[in-house]
Amino acid sequence: MTRETLEVDVLIVGGGPAGMSAALRLAQLQKQQPGEPLSIAVLEKSREPAAHLLSGAVLDPSTLRDLIPDYEQKGAPLAVPVHTDHVYFLTSQRKIAFPIIPPPLQNHGNVIISLNAFGQWLAQQVEAEGVDVFTGFAGQEVLMEGQRVVGVRTGDRGIGRHGEQKPTFEPGVDVLAKVTIFCDGVRGNLTKELLRRLPLGTGRQPQQFAVGLKELWEIPAGRIAPGTVMHTMGYPLRSEEFGGGFVYAMAERQLSIGFVVGLDYQDPLFDPHMAFNRFKQHPLIAGLLDAGSLVRYGAKALPEGGWNTIPQPYMDGALIAGDAGGFLNSLRLKGIHLAMRTGMLAAESAFEAVRAGDSSASSLASYQRRIDASPVRAELYPVRNVHQAFSHGLLAGLAFSGVSLLTRGWWPTDVHGDAGHERMHRINASTSGAPDLRPSNDTAIDRRLTFDKVTNVHYSGAAHDEDQPPHLLVHTEVCSSICGPEYGHPCTRFCPANVYEIARESDGTPRLQINASNCVHCKTCDIMDPYQVITWVPPEGGGGPQYNGM
Amino acid sequence: MNEPDAYALEEALRLRERHGGEVVVCCAGPARVQQVIREALARGADRAIHVQDDRLAAADAFMTADALAAAMGDEKFDLVLTGLQSDDLGQAQTGVILAERLGSPHSTIIMEVQAEGDALRVKRELEGGWFQWITMPLPAVLTIQSGINQLRYATLKGIMAAKKKEIRTAAMPPDLQPTQQIVSLAVPTRAKTTHMIEGSAGEAAKDLVRLLREEARVL
Amino acid sequence: MILVIAEQRDGRLNRASWEAVAAAQAMAGPLPVKVAVLGSAVASIASEIAGAQVAEVFAAEDPALSLYTPDGYAIAVRAVVDATTPTFVLMPHTYQTRDCAPSIAARLRKALITDVTGISGTGADATFTRPMFQGKLAAQVKPLGEPPFFVTLQIGAFRADAVQKGGHAPITPVPVHLDAAQVRQKPEPPFQEAKQAVDLSQAERIVAVGRGIKSQENIAIAEKLAKAMGAELAASRPICDNGWLPMERQIGSSGQTVAPKLYLALGISGAIQHLVGMKGARTIVAINKDADAPIFEVADYGLVGDLFEIVPAMLAELEKA
Repeated sequence: MTRETLEVDVLIVGGGPAGMSAALRLAQLQKQQPGEPLSIAVLEKSREPAAHLLSGAVLDPSTLRDLIPDYEQKGAPLAVPVHTDHVYFLTSQRKIAFPIIPPPLQNHGNVIISLNAFGQWLAQQVEAEGVDVFTGFAGQEVLMEGQRVVGVRTGDRGIGRHGEQKPTFEPGVDVLAKVTIFCDGVRGNLTKELLRRLPLGTGRQPQQFAVGLKELWEIPAGRIAPGTVMHTMGYPLRSEEFGGGFVYAMAERQLSIGFVVGLDYQDPLFDPHMAFNRFKQHPLIAGLLDAGSLVRYGAKALPEGGWNTIPQPYMDGALIAGDAGGFLNSLRLKGIHLAMRTGMLAAESAFEAVRAGDSSASSLASYQRRIDASPVRAELYPVRNVHQAFSHGLLAGLAFSGVSLLTRGWWPTDVHGDAGHERMHRINASTSGAPDLRPSNDTAIDRRLTFDKVTNVHYSGAAHDEDQPPHLLVHTEVCSSICGPEYGHPCTRFCPANVYEIARESDGTPRLQINASNCVHCKTCDIMDPYQVITWVPPEGGGGPQYNGM
Repeated sequence: MNEPDAYALEEALRLRERHGGEVVVCCAGPARVQQVIREALARGADRAIHVQDDRLAAADAFMTADALAAAMGDEKFDLVLTGLQSDDLGQAQTGVILAERLGSPHSTIIMEVQAEGDALRVKRELEGGWFQWITMPLPAVLTIQSGINQLRYATLKGIMAAKKKEIRTAAMPPDLQPTQQIVSLAVPTRAKTTHMIEGSAGEAAKDLVRLLREEARVL
Repeated sequence: MILVIAEQRDGRLNRASWEAVAAAQAMAGPLPVKVAVLGSAVASIASEIAGAQVAEVFAAEDPALSLYTPDGYAIAVRAVVDATTPTFVLMPHTYQTRDCAPSIAARLRKALITDVTGISGTGADATFTRPMFQGKLAAQVKPLGEPPFFVTLQIGAFRADAVQKGGHAPITPVPVHLDAAQVRQKPEPPFQEAKQAVDLSQAERIVAVGRGIKSQENIAIAEKLAKAMGAELAASRPICDNGWLPMERQIGSSGQTVAPKLYLALGISGAIQHLVGMKGARTIVAINKDADAPIFEVADYGLVGDLFEIVPAMLAELEKA
């Protein structure tokens, strides 16, 4: 089989805020510093730009101002400025307002946006610059020569569910680039490969994650003022579980609600989606959603570890930007502006490298220096220990956050964190052997306010060509042997899309059934599986959720 | 891209592979249809004609067909292929009306196309597993049944090449009039009361069969 | 006057024509209903139609109409319309109608509203309901311009057995002069072919199985029921994922969308992905052990019980023809 090759100067993998900002910045630099024109390509696995983007979201517009100063004239969809912040501690029936909004959660000057709408607009800006954005193309494999990254191979298309080539078969293309900027998102499959093949994590702490579940609702007018931002802690999470809820009033009648759970919980029977349902059942939230209707659902992991978990983001021939590198401020719950900033900085280093004809690690190390001199470090360094502090419980975490605000992040030593999946406990002997373990935080579903995962998935617009091999690779037989007794098949609970189900053979042996078509590309399974035997690879390009309005 | 049109495009590309020639894609619509045109060019069409007008976003089949015919104008196309109906209005009219405007013979819901010199022999689908072969002279218009071929992917090189292919913009004739008007749109709701049939399995089964025969009249 | 164009092939009347007659009778109001038949020898069909309560039957005959061609029928229908000046012309939305109705309307430059599922109002003020976006929306449409207005009716949307019978309509021949040179299409006789792919969207009745069927072997009883009811067999997603039935039999958001006259769901819970594929069915029957299963929310008839007891009982009842 002969593969086509495409040679470009800069390849950007991922068409989200990081990747699009990188592309735009490169186009700007070309205009500012005329010379040999740069060939740029962006690969994006979704069928349309921004279709896989999901976030709350409250945007810090500082990076946008730097990237596109005339963003207002250009029609940037910044839906509504934040008007009021509320932070609540919830008990099962009540809410207790924080007397003062903790400074990281003060959103004055920020804007509530739909990341999907914002991403579409960014894509239009990039396309207007004449940059090739190839949607429907997934990056399957990193191409390397020794220690140097030389490009990315896109996924083959037209393979049937048993691995056979269909008549429409098209082999993936080898896109070769002088510099490849990896913006493949949280737990990006290509960045994961880079971390495995190169010692980029040396001296860094293990990465840590959370999963965010989100719904878009249409509610009766006049119930909550647009621009209202609420964050909650406490119920339905216990002290040992990290996370909380959010409510953002985007427009008259349009509400964005969601729930974030740290992917380091200890109880193997815990179900993040159930926690989201319980959150919605709380009188505060139920009251907001009453008589409303669900419009869209989605889920995505978030990189929570902070500064100390960010790997070395430069190497021979490549850079890492955005969520893929973990550039997110988990205390402020904001990462879009950091994704955009690191995308821009990566573009600047890449541009220099291409013009100088040197894209070695030592040349691209300028990226790290740029990050260190930029608002990215200024923001992330002082809070580098906060997420790790929460592993000691909610109170400890809050206390630590408070102290670190006063000390500007100073602490005698860096607090160490563990990879979240290692913290999952085994189920105790008394519950083992039960064939179908219900979640420990189970709650009744009413299909009006709360939903089962299958119904929710329908509202994510998740669609994949059915006739392809499953893209969740499970490497061992633990599912039919030790996983049941040890953890009770947690994949059936932590996946927010009902991809994993346990069927029983006639003799009762469990068999893993993978409903790959439901996958919303959140990466939770790749992160949270206690045995680390699940690898998420991109399905055939174009498949995935359709996050309109998210 | 309208799913049936995608099959029409694929058929056109295959005919070009067999017989040579040029595949031109025509589209009538507002500016945003450029995206669909680019996709068609990326899959292999040679060039495009875009009848651009915002009014075409809500046009009926007569207006669309008239706009297309006017833009296709002086170009003497040997064969015009369309999808058998659109995903939005689903009227199944535009292709046939276009044939009339061009003065060409037509046939619809085509499963197979054989070109022989100046003539076409096409296989038409009928109800219930029946088919029919029809011969007609060129130039002709065909509406293509979905699923008659396998759609090819647009390749990276195809997408890049598409940017350089010609898209000729044409204006919509100013005097086109709609022939129908949508008075209202609604989400279809069924006033439904579920009749729960009680009783033992045997009794309920009997009741159900009787109701289906006599009340619902579907057996 | 409302004119119905009936459809025939090889001397047999297409049953859908009666649906068009029923629709015409219901919407006519003060206007008379008349029916036209086209072909090379239509006397017996014309008599059959004349037995309905219609004002007149037109027989448009010509040897060139023995096999359908779009050109031939366009010329013939135009001749009938010109001679009879109807307000509305109704046709069933068959493959043949889809092939020629737009042609006729285009030649006359008159409005054509296709795939109509409902008619409101009567006489000249009628408005027509038709689906948009593959059934996700329903539009009320009015024709514009001058009559005649052409309307095609979705198959099965109007009931053929609602035709008012007991008439003795006169049969009037309408001369049609077809010049062979005007007919550009040369058709060969239609033939039948076993279709490779299952097309559930054409089935009038469907029996669908879900997880409640429990095993591949048990599908046999559903097959028996389907056969006894003259129905096609279909399935929800999990059944096809297991390979118990081929993918072409899957109903739902990742399979086929169907709107048959009868949909019988056996052991299907009614996950929304399945419902979107079948909730347009005219009559929905649900049989499920779980009284809370969402399928009951869309069912016209529901039975909470064990399908393995109910289905054999149904079979016994169906045998008593």
